[in-house]
Amino acid sequence: MDVWNILEYCAWALAVLFGGHMLIDLARVDSTYDNDLLTSSREGEIELTQELHKL
Amino acid sequence: MAYQPPKQGFVGQIVDVAVLLVMTVGALYIPLYLGLAGAAKTPRPIENPTWEALGQNAAEQAQWQALGIADPAAASDIVTARFDYSFSWAALLVMAVLVIGYFVLVVRLSDKEYRDVIAERFDRK
Amino acid sequence: MTLSSAEPTVQAQASTQGGERLQLLRVLGPGHVWALGVGIVLVGEYMGWNFAVGKGGMIAGLVACWLAGLLYTCVAMIDSEVTSTVAAAGGQYAQAKHIVGPLMAFNVGLFLVMAYTMLEAANAITIGFLLDTVAGLQGHSGLHQPPFIVLTVVFLAWLNYRGVLATLTFNLVITAIAFLAIILLFVSVQLGASHVPLDFSAISTDPLPYGWLGILAALHFGLWYYLGIEGTCQAAEEVRSPARSLPYGTMAGIMTLLIAATLTWYVCSGLIPWEYLGQAGTPLFDAARVTGSTPLMVLLFIGTIFSTLASANGCINDASRAWFSMGRDRYLPSWFGAVHPKYRTPYRSIVFLVPIALIFALGAPLDQVVTFSILSGLLGYTFMTFNMVMFRRKWPLGTIKRGYVHPFHPFPAILLLLICAATYFAVFLGYGSQLIAMMCFYILASLWFHFWRYRFVRRGDQFTMPWPRPQGC
Repeated sequence: MDVWNILEYCAWALAVLFGGHMLIDLARVDSTYDNDLLTSSREGEIELTQELHKL
Repeated sequence: MAYQPPKQGFVGQIVDVAVLLVMTVGALYIPLYLGLAGAAKTPRPIENPTWEALGQNAAEQAQWQALGIADPAAASDIVTARFDYSFSWAALLVMAVLVIGYFVLVVRLSDKEYRDVIAERFDRK
Repeated sequence: MTLSSAEPTVQAQASTQGGERLQLLRVLGPGHVWALGVGIVLVGEYMGWNFAVGKGGMIAGLVACWLAGLLYTCVAMIDSEVTSTVAAAGGQYAQAKHIVGPLMAFNVGLFLVMAYTMLEAANAITIGFLLDTVAGLQGHSGLHQPPFIVLTVVFLAWLNYRGVLATLTFNLVITAIAFLAIILLFVSVQLGASHVPLDFSAISTDPLPYGWLGILAALHFGLWYYLGIEGTCQAAEEVRSPARSLPYGTMAGIMTLLIAATLTWYVCSGLIPWEYLGQAGTPLFDAARVTGSTPLMVLLFIGTIFSTLASANGCINDASRAWFSMGRDRYLPSWFGAVHPKYRTPYRSIVFLVPIALIFALGAPLDQVVTFSILSGLLGYTFMTFNMVMFRRKWPLGTIKRGYVHPFHPFPAILLLLICAATYFAVFLGYGSQLIAMMCFYILASLWFHFWRYRFVRRGDQFTMPWPRPQGC
């Protein structure tokens, strides 16, 4: 058991921590907000207001 | 009248993702399992390797030492290894047909779908 | 601008009540675009490019470096013109959708996701390998690599999940350090910091060990110097002013890489015998070892780790944008087309791609993963050639406003096509079976899309640009 073994366990622990945080947040967001709102993004909407394709 | 797509259920969505995944993993692992993957170099060892016989001058010898390889025998396999670039013309032809055929297929089918898109987008006003 | 740069949380709440929509956050400047492009690619200088030297010798390595540089200059020029006009997340995917058609777009989306996810896996494998080497130097043999590979992927995914500005600012810093490390190594070697002299005698004694075929074969890994620079377009929906920042960031990126690639070739070829260089795992780190200077070794070790992290980070960013865009158009299940209400990132796509990257990082050999990535990139470049010609034909100059117009059309497109053809041949020498397996995969996926998946896609909604009707349709 040297420092590298300890680092291996730390790496596992951190990976679980970050991964867990993402999954919990995903579950929380998905249950809090309406799916139609979450998937309401449309391509090119900002185009209409910001980029004028006229000469 | 604009085309109304059917609504896809939850199970259908999962099945579609699974199909794509199986195809991807298959494309990567099938050549591996068939043992067709990779191009390996083969060393052509020489008798009693010395730095001179391996064509390494004084500066290059110092570089080998710095890389931790002090013995010409240890460097011999690395120095003499070469790729084999012989290939069969039939295989080259198969590849060319596949690549060109693929792009022709995709562009032609895309064009068919594209005309619908343009018609629906610009004719409905 | 004022509309979308409001406080994210406030706006998200407003949207819940006002029936507005969630969009990705527009916060990035040209520096971030540069960091995204160069960050993904710079790792190629730290590992991988040197296999080109192994495949054809020193001169072939340099010729491949410049030929690939030419290819990517064409890519950057063509891409800048189209992207500055079609500014949408998904980059080339959205271009294909507007210019060639849905099936092509589906394929381009797959190219992007595959190329970036495989590159991300390759980076994670490299980090495991490098830590194993360092542990070995310290007397701990047989380091268990999976925890570090998993941590790399999960941590970077988490960073991406939490917001694009922090992610790309992080990338900007570590990419700049990795780039400076190459410059510093070059300058120190020029000032005589190396105990061992530079030696280029192999150029005259052993110029082309494989003959001219070697130059062609070397092109396969020559791409590795620059692969991924086109990823800058993925940020289009998050850049404050895409028509200006994207061409600017991309062009600055390609110049940075041309300089870095030539310096890297010079230092490594001078300090390392080409036979060793051709099979080295970490060439720049090895060059630092040859100099015998500990500060340089530490610097290049840090550079290698940072460039690898920056690359994996950019890959997660780009792959998830492409996957998200396909979900948004229902090319994939619409579940993926979701934006996080607070962080404003395509969070479901980011999470979904984590296990995919891990399957490849933990289960497949490095050269296999790298070849898959290069091939997907190559198919993407081939697409750009006819995409450009069709773009100019359907909307000639003067019919729509372009942010940037590239000169000498159609010569860059023709040149690009020629170099692509040569590169297919280079990949074929040695990796022919992978190439065929890969083509079969894309053909199957295309048929699946055309005959099954496309029925769920709304037709007219796919065309989102406020352009006039294309000519000839």
